[in-house]
Order: sequence, then C-alpha cells, then structure tokens
Amino acid sequence: MFTESTLVFIALSAIFAYSFYAVLVAGQLSLGQAGFASLAAFTGAALAPSPNDVGDLPALLIAIFIGMTVGALAAVILGLPTMRLRGVFLAIATLAFAEAVRILIINMDWTGGAQGMSVPKILEPWMAWVLLALVAYWFWRQGPSRYGRALEAIREDELAARAMGIDVGTHRLSAFIAAGAIAGLYGVLWAFYVRLIAPEDFGFAQAIDGLVTAVVGGSTAFVGPLLGSVFLTMVPEVQRAIGIEAGWIRPFLASLLLLLVILFLPGGLASLLPRRVARLVSGSDSEQAELESRLAQRVHPTEGQTVVNLQGLGKDYGGVHANRDIDLHITGGEVIGLIGPNGAGKTTLVNMISGLTRSTSGTAEVLGLDPGKVAVHKVAAAGVSRTFQHSKLFARLSALENVMVGGHLVSKPTFLRRLFWLPSARRDERRLAVHAASCLERVGLGDKAGNRASALSYGDQRRLEIARALASDPSLLILDEPAAGMNHVEADALSDLIGSLSTDGLTILLIEHNVGMVMKTCSRIVVLNFGEVIATGTPEEIANNPAVVEAYLGSAESEEAS
Amino acid sequence: MQQLLNGLFTGSIYALFAIGFTLVFGVLDRLNLAHPAVFAVSAFVGIELVEVAGLSIWYTLPIVFVVGGLLGIIIERVAFRPLKNRPDAHFAGLISSIALAGMFIALLQWRYGPNTRRFPADSFPSTTFTVFGAQVTLLQVAILVISVALMVALTLLVAKSRLGRGMRAIAENPTAARVLGINVDRVTMTTFAISSALGAVAGALFAMNVNSAQLGMGTAIELKGLAVIIVGGMGSLPGALVGGLLLGLAEVFAVANIGSSWRDMVAFGLLFLILLVRPQGLFGARKVREV
Repeated sequence: MFTESTLVFIALSAIFAYSFYAVLVAGQLSLGQAGFASLAAFTGAALAPSPNDVGDLPALLIAIFIGMTVGALAAVILGLPTMRLRGVFLAIATLAFAEAVRILIINMDWTGGAQGMSVPKILEPWMAWVLLALVAYWFWRQGPSRYGRALEAIREDELAARAMGIDVGTHRLSAFIAAGAIAGLYGVLWAFYVRLIAPEDFGFAQAIDGLVTAVVGGSTAFVGPLLGSVFLTMVPEVQRAIGIEAGWIRPFLASLLLLLVILFLPGGLASLLPRRVARLVSGSDSEQAELESRLAQRVHPTEGQTVVNLQGLGKDYGGVHANRDIDLHITGGEVIGLIGPNGAGKTTLVNMISGLTRSTSGTAEVLGLDPGKVAVHKVAAAGVSRTFQHSKLFARLSALENVMVGGHLVSKPTFLRRLFWLPSARRDERRLAVHAASCLERVGLGDKAGNRASALSYGDQRRLEIARALASDPSLLILDEPAAGMNHVEADALSDLIGSLSTDGLTILLIEHNVGMVMKTCSRIVVLNFGEVIATGTPEEIANNPAVVEAYLGSAESEEAS
Repeated sequence: MQQLLNGLFTGSIYALFAIGFTLVFGVLDRLNLAHPAVFAVSAFVGIELVEVAGLSIWYTLPIVFVVGGLLGIIIERVAFRPLKNRPDAHFAGLISSIALAGMFIALLQWRYGPNTRRFPADSFPSTTFTVFGAQVTLLQVAILVISVALMVALTLLVAKSRLGRGMRAIAENPTAARVLGINVDRVTMTTFAISSALGAVAGALFAMNVNSAQLGMGTAIELKGLAVIIVGGMGSLPGALVGGLLLGLAEVFAVANIGSSWRDMVAFGLLFLILLVRPQGLFGARKVREV
C-alpha cells in the first residue's frame, strides 16, 4: 500500500501543510503559500546547477536554499503591505497574490509558460522524510517557547496580546516569513520529484488542499499537519485498494470524510492524541530559590514622582465627546479610584492611558512616554499593564500559560535556544513558569494553574486577568472593573490584594462601580461624568461632594420636576 | 461600444454571483465556499431541464432559483449551523463548506460525467437588437435585466422588509437579535437560501451566456466573486453590483488592449490595489475596533 510515490507525497503534502500551520498558530489565514511555492519551484529549478555536474544531493540542497530564500523574500514583500489585514481579508489578498504569480509565470518565457518546465527527478523518499522531520522538529520546539506562546496569544486575542507587550506586527510577519520559506521548500521538492512542473501545479485548488490538510490534522498541535497528510493521502489509496474505481466516488468520499472530521473533531485529528499540559516540576529548595531570583526587577517610580500626567486630554467620536479636557496627575505609589456613572468615559480614559485609543486633543505622558504616539506594546514595555472590562483572556490556553504570556516582557526569548536543547532555555522557561505560578498564587488561583482559561468561573477569570497583568511586573496597574460579578467576600480579598500591591510600590488605577470598595481601597478618587472630571479628592471629600451625589443619585430638583 | 456592452453582460453575472457571496458574509460574517458549487450545479440542472424536460430557457430560471434555495438550506444546516458556537467557527466554516462543495461536484460528476455540457442547439431565441451600432442578443438583454432586477429586489428586501431588518440586526449582534425575539436560526437559514438562489440563477445565466457548463466553472468564478466583494466592500450589496460591473468591463478592455492571457490579472490587480488603499472596499463601512 505504501508505494514509493505515496511515501513521497505524504511527506510533501505534510511539508506544504506546515506552511499553513506556521501562520494558523498565530490565527492568520493565508492562501498565498501556493504562490510562494510556485516562485520557489521555478527559480530553484532554473538556477540550481545540473545534478550531472555536482551530484544529486548538492544540487537539491542548493535548489532548496534558493527556493526557501525566494519564498521567504516573497513573504516579506507580500507581508509588509498586507499584515494589517485580518481574517478573510488577509486570506483573499494572499490568494490574489498567488493567482497573480500563476498568471505571471504562465506569461513568462523562462518558465516555459503554460507548458511548464522539465526538471530532473532527484528527490528520494528518505530525503523528503528527513526534511519533513526537520520542519516538524522546528514546530515541536517552537510550541512551548516564548515565541510560540506569543503567537498563540495573538491567535486567541490580538488586542490583549498587544497589551501584554507583544509586538504583534513583528510576530505576525515572522510567522508569515516562516510560512513563505516552508512553502518554498515544498515547491522545490515538488519540482525535483514530478519531472515536469506547470503553473497549474500551484493553483487555488492546491492552496485549499494545503489548508485543508493543516486544519484536518489540527492547527493547534505540531503533529497535526503530518496526521492530516497521512489521512488525506491514504484515503484515495485505501479506496483504490478496496476496489472503488468510479471517478466520482473517490472525491465524494474524500469530501465526506473531510466534512465529518471538521464537524466532529474540532481540534482536528491531533485532538485524538492526549494533550500535554504544562506542569510545574518542583525541584529542590535551593533550586527553587534560585529560580525565584526574581524576574521582577523593575524600579518603580517613588512617592512624588510622576507616573501619569494628563493635560486637557479629550476624545471625540464624530462629535460625541467621550472625554473632554481631562487634567489628571498621578504620582508613584498612589491608588487612584476612577468612578462615575455608566457612559461617563472611564474606559475611554484608561484606553488612552494604555495607548489603545488615541486622544483627539490635549497631551498625555505616561511613564515618560506619550501613549498616543507609540505602539501599544511599547507602552506596556514602559511598565503599564491592565485588565479589561470584558475579560479578554487567551481562552484556549491554560491559566498558567495565560500568565506566562503576561510575563512576556520580563522573560527572555527561548525558541532558538530550544532548537538546540540548550539547558539555559529550559532554566528560563522554568523560571518564567515559577514566576507565573507565584502570580497565580497571589490572586488565589494557585490550584487552578492547569485549567483552561475558558473553563474557569467568572470570578476566577477576573482574578486570572489580574494575575496576567501582574506578571509583566508593571509600575502602573490599571484594573477595569475587576470586582464586577464578585461577591463581597471576594471583593474584600481583592481590596486586600490591591493594598498589598501598593505596598510593593505599584501605582494602581482602579475603575470600579462598587463605591464602598473604592472608598476603602483608594488613596484618592477621581469622579467622571459626561466625559469630564467633576471631582477629585480623598474618599471623605468625595463622599461629601454634592456634585458627586447628584451625578449618582440625581438632583433633588430633577426628582421633583419629574 | 460592443466591448462595453459585453463587459456589462458578463459583469452583471459576476455581480449576481458576488451579491450572494457578500450577503452571507455581511449578515453572518461567514465566507461560504460552497457558493461556487451551487453556481455549477444550477448550470447543469438548467441544461438538464431544457434538454430532458423540454422547457424553454425562461421557465428554467424560476426552477433553478428554487433548487438553489434548497441547496442553500442544506449548506446552512450541514456545514454552518453545527459549527456556530465554536471558537474557530471562521476556519471551520470555510473547510466544511469546501467539503460540501466537493460532495456537490462529485455528485454532478456521477450524474453528468466529466465532460462539458451544452444547451440543445435551438434553445436560444434568435432575436437581436442593434444598440448604438453594437449587436446585442435578446438573451444578453435578458441576462442584464434579470440580474439587475434580482439585485434591486434583494437590496429592497434587506432595506425595507421585516426579514431584512432581522438580517441587519443579526449582522450587528446575533445575541442581542435573539434576545429581541428574532428567530436567528430561521433568518440565518433564509439568508443562505436567498444567497444560494441568486448564485444558482447566476450559474444558469452564465451557462446560457457562454453555452457551456463544466465541473470547474465554479472555481473559475469563485476567485472573481471574491475580488468583486472585496472591491465593492465586504457585505455591501450595492458594492457587489458596482464591483461586478466594473470587473466585467475591466476584463473586456484588458483583453482588447493587453491580451487575453493577462485577463485574469485584472481582477487580482484591482483586488490588491483596493486592499492596500481602501481595505473596507468602495462601499464598505470601516469597522471600529472595540475593547
């Protein structure tokens, strides 16, 4: 059943599927890989020396080098303008690129036009499988590295990933370049196996096949593309072996199986395999102490030093003033409460402070940066970390992994060192895991480290967001309604936690509707209404301020009038 | 002038095909890749109706419309509804609709074999008109009129009717729509049915226009349909109409001025340009990011 060509085709289609997997792990759908493969196949075959002159293997390796370079370069050229596109827009743009490449190659002389180009057959099955093993190895090592986790975080929630300090643009582009290089490898191998390559070998149908292979196999586990390739290559073989010959039955059954897999195996074939859960291996006490030798080393602004300075800050949404003329000065170690009725502009204000929203007037300075002028991840790197009003966890990652992504900024990159099994990479990974676990411990989630974020209760999800925000060792921590949905016992615990964080030197900005909790926790309170600051002061001053009472309860006059 | 008219006729079919595509995307945020298979199936069904049942080509269109609607319901029930609560519903829907499309095409191959099929020789009316010095057949006029009429009807339906309000509500927020008492499942199913019915009529008209139907005809127009809905703006119905006509015209002029082997480059060049310069398309609204 496993003829030589079946073996080679399994390896080739798995390699092609890995080029889709490379971007799917980051949540990007690209269909341009056929174009990369096509460019690589034709240039590789045209430029590589003849196998008769240099021998089979050297010729193949040179062609592979050329092809992978061409694929990666094409990915850069296509990626730079298109990386800001999302979802189907990216898919269609990359598809258009692939089609444009196909038409270009048909119309060129050196490629042989629509007839194609003949190429010597020098690829042996073992070469294909060795290369496949290398590609699979690459993704195996990538998975639990800092880089791999960052890509998964981008897939789950791009905005939250940005707020955790991940440079989303660079990460997406590098995933795309990997896809280009691997597609290039596929193109060259294909060329040196099938003897005759034509532009039609790299069309829309082939791109869809590659995508389908990756998704059927499973786009969240590194063995997925390989499983998908074995499955989809074997289906027609098995049908032939049991004597199904009618032309239509084969595509029909293949499609039916594809439908069944996608409907009933959400994670693809790879979900049939047991999933390895990131666990903490506890070492000896001295090692433990060494590991805890602090990832957190930021020097926080001291009392009196400026953390946030807003002057006349405002935000218009087409004539609607979400915020107007906000002046606010926050200094080191303060715990500021931001309260106000719904729609008062609290979230817009913290979005401007954390760089997610650009102001339309006024100036802002946060930890020495202007958050309206730099990328969100740079604001995070300066020491701003936040939670979100509607929790934006990385749903399919475990609680521990969520917090480890939160520690992106304080940990070192480990992927390249993991490729070579350097012990220092393992140590760094464990140090990060221990750091993350201590953050979980601090919010009271120590025993839930292995649970998926989406499986946690609502209150636990709120706490996990705080742990994730703490993991980046922030100087300014912004909590957007952290107590929403908590009972008063939990809210009290949260209040204590905020107090202890403040003792550690963090500056905290707390948005909250639970006014009792804000009164108890904060050193100073800012009240917003209709986008403007209506009062600032200590909890006592605020409690006795008639403007605040009016904003919350309505004035006596309007009560009577109504 | 002849060129201009030819471009309009082809373009109106592109537009009719694309408008079904964009309807599903605009309302449900899903790309239905079984749409091109509906296009192909209806072309074969149309030929069968004329050849075997001896119907006039005009009567085949309402039947094809109904067949397309039924296929749309099947697509929704089998390929999209079971997936709607999955976190990766977007990818999964693409794949499941590709799978279903593969099954449709395989069944076509079973019934009709792999060869190109044509309408019987005398099924087209021979009337021709001369418009501004250009030759136009009655069939071509009918294609233009039917396509535009269907698209206008759809636009009115979405803008004015109760069903259309339901669609727009779901497009904004499916959960809120459900809370407000809209039967989201039924509106979703109807959206798919209408979308596929339009795609089916487009398929039958296309087969009449070129007098042939092949198994791969859906794939060929799929890419153009995608180009049209991007150029017009994802989810924008008038955008699909204008985009379709624009693409039809641009192709005809490209063939006349650059050569036929570059024709397909026009669609993708246009598409790429729009994505870079104005990603929301000519008529699309910019989506605002929310926290």
